[in-house]
Amino acid sequence: MSALLVAADLLREARSRRWTLALAGAVTLVLAAVAVGLRLEVVDGALAATRLFGGSLDTDIRSVDVALRPFFAATSWLVFFGGTVFGVVAVSDFAPSMLAPGRVESLLALPVRRWQLLLGTFLGVEALVLGGAVYGGGGMTLLLLAKTGVWNPGPVLAAAMAALAFAPIYAVMLGAALLVRSAALSAAAGFLLLLAGVVAGERGPIASAFEPGTARAVFLALTAPLPRLTALARAASDLAQAKPVAAGPFLGSALGAALFASAALSLAAARFERKDF
Amino acid sequence: MAAIEAQGLSKTYRGPLGGAGAVALRGVDLRVERGTAFGLIGPNGAGKTTFVKALLGVVRPTAGRVSLLGGDPDDPAVRRRVGYLPERLALPPAWTPVEILTSVARLKRLGPARAEVARRLEEVGMAEAAGRKVGGFSKGMKQRVGLAGALLGSPEVLVLDEPTDGLDPLARVEVRSLLARELERGATLLLNSHLLSETERVCGRIGILVEGRVVRQGALPDLRSALPRWRVRLAGPAAAIAAAGFSGGGQGSWAFEGEALAMNAALDRARAAGALVLEVAQESKDLEAVLAEAVGAEASAEPGGRP
Repeated sequence: MSALLVAADLLREARSRRWTLALAGAVTLVLAAVAVGLRLEVVDGALAATRLFGGSLDTDIRSVDVALRPFFAATSWLVFFGGTVFGVVAVSDFAPSMLAPGRVESLLALPVRRWQLLLGTFLGVEALVLGGAVYGGGGMTLLLLAKTGVWNPGPVLAAAMAALAFAPIYAVMLGAALLVRSAALSAAAGFLLLLAGVVAGERGPIASAFEPGTARAVFLALTAPLPRLTALARAASDLAQAKPVAAGPFLGSALGAALFASAALSLAAARFERKDF
Repeated sequence: MAAIEAQGLSKTYRGPLGGAGAVALRGVDLRVERGTAFGLIGPNGAGKTTFVKALLGVVRPTAGRVSLLGGDPDDPAVRRRVGYLPERLALPPAWTPVEILTSVARLKRLGPARAEVARRLEEVGMAEAAGRKVGGFSKGMKQRVGLAGALLGSPEVLVLDEPTDGLDPLARVEVRSLLARELERGATLLLNSHLLSETERVCGRIGILVEGRVVRQGALPDLRSALPRWRVRLAGPAAAIAAAGFSGGGQGSWAFEGEALAMNAALDRARAAGALVLEVAQESKDLEAVLAEAVGAEASAEPGGRP
């Protein structure tokens, strides 16, 4: 319960953060641009023409749900990677400001355990990221529903996937902030894991570029514990397009990301528990 | 029953490479009874803030134990009964005092606290600024908000680290009367302040911390009279008076530090040497003198003394 109260406080604080407002503004701008500029002409369930700010994009006549797939895919990739990159920057200051001298002492003296404080911060950021992603994905879904009559909740599911993928990233950012109270370092740790997660998601093809032997084995061993972010992004894109998703690999990647986040958060909590302020 | 009790409390901070760093507390034994006001004083770097932080679980002690209201400071049920104002207070700049205090009330599980938030802000003179963002506040205004937060829920123990820092003289008077009211309702107060006059006015008991050790603690009158100082006007041969144990001597005014018996013996020696006693008066020591004396005694007790 205390962790949820801390998370709620973080969300309240986020309302006034420059970067959070910028994130909300950017998503709103994209949605507004699509709402105003994108014109889809649907005739008898088929997309007859697509115009973006007056310019013709596509004139082939196709079934509207098939024709919209690239839009849903683009939305999913944008929410997933664009949202993650923006999110890393937007939330990088939350933990360092919570740990600021004069503030952390007040918080630690309140009837809240240290792990609850950490978990609350994590949950607050996750809720913020999920909210932003659902706003973008859900907004696009509703816009396309209004313009074409096609209901596809896939982008909302993709948004949830993006929030899941952000969990290991923010857990590492939180741990970094506990080591050195710096928003820049926290963001750098987040970007590093994002990059590593992209590589880990493609570890099969990349490994085949190595000669069989020690180098390949080392690469595979190093990338084994990392969250497979590109695999998750692909699954999110497939979900957004209402394509079937292979349950096994998808669940493996999702579970891997959740486990990585839990492990990183546990390490951060252990560090926080011993730390003097 | 003790509200605060520390036994053999030690804290050595870790150095940058993980080894032993600065020693902040060296076996502190301290007891604060319920319903009393205890002032912690000492020179810079004496370990006062570390003691306060160790008391609240903000800093992990290296050795010894500390109890708060008979319980573990880490226990949320214990901390719910404690109000704390840290030395360097930082508040979320985009929040208003009402939002800050409401958050504290929620985390303390005080239930609907709207009326109390308003009352506490009124008490610290921040009612008019209750809806403004604290980012634009002066240090004194932020300090008042922090104090209001510490007082929320009428805690049994109030731990205040430099509570009047940044406040103007009139606001200090208001804070003093506020603390007096808290004491009247039965709260225990631990005050850590550089302002000795402030501590002297509010606290009945004092602990002097020097280099991580409690060198003196007790009721203020006892500490003041630990080594009485006498001002004596004597007429006669200065060398003989000085030899009798008196110091000073400018315009016939001499000083003597010691118990009444020792002072009388010194007077006897001076009279035997031909001096005439004109006036004897005991000087009242202020807390500054008590502190200076304690620090000096600690320095001379150490091998090599303090620089």
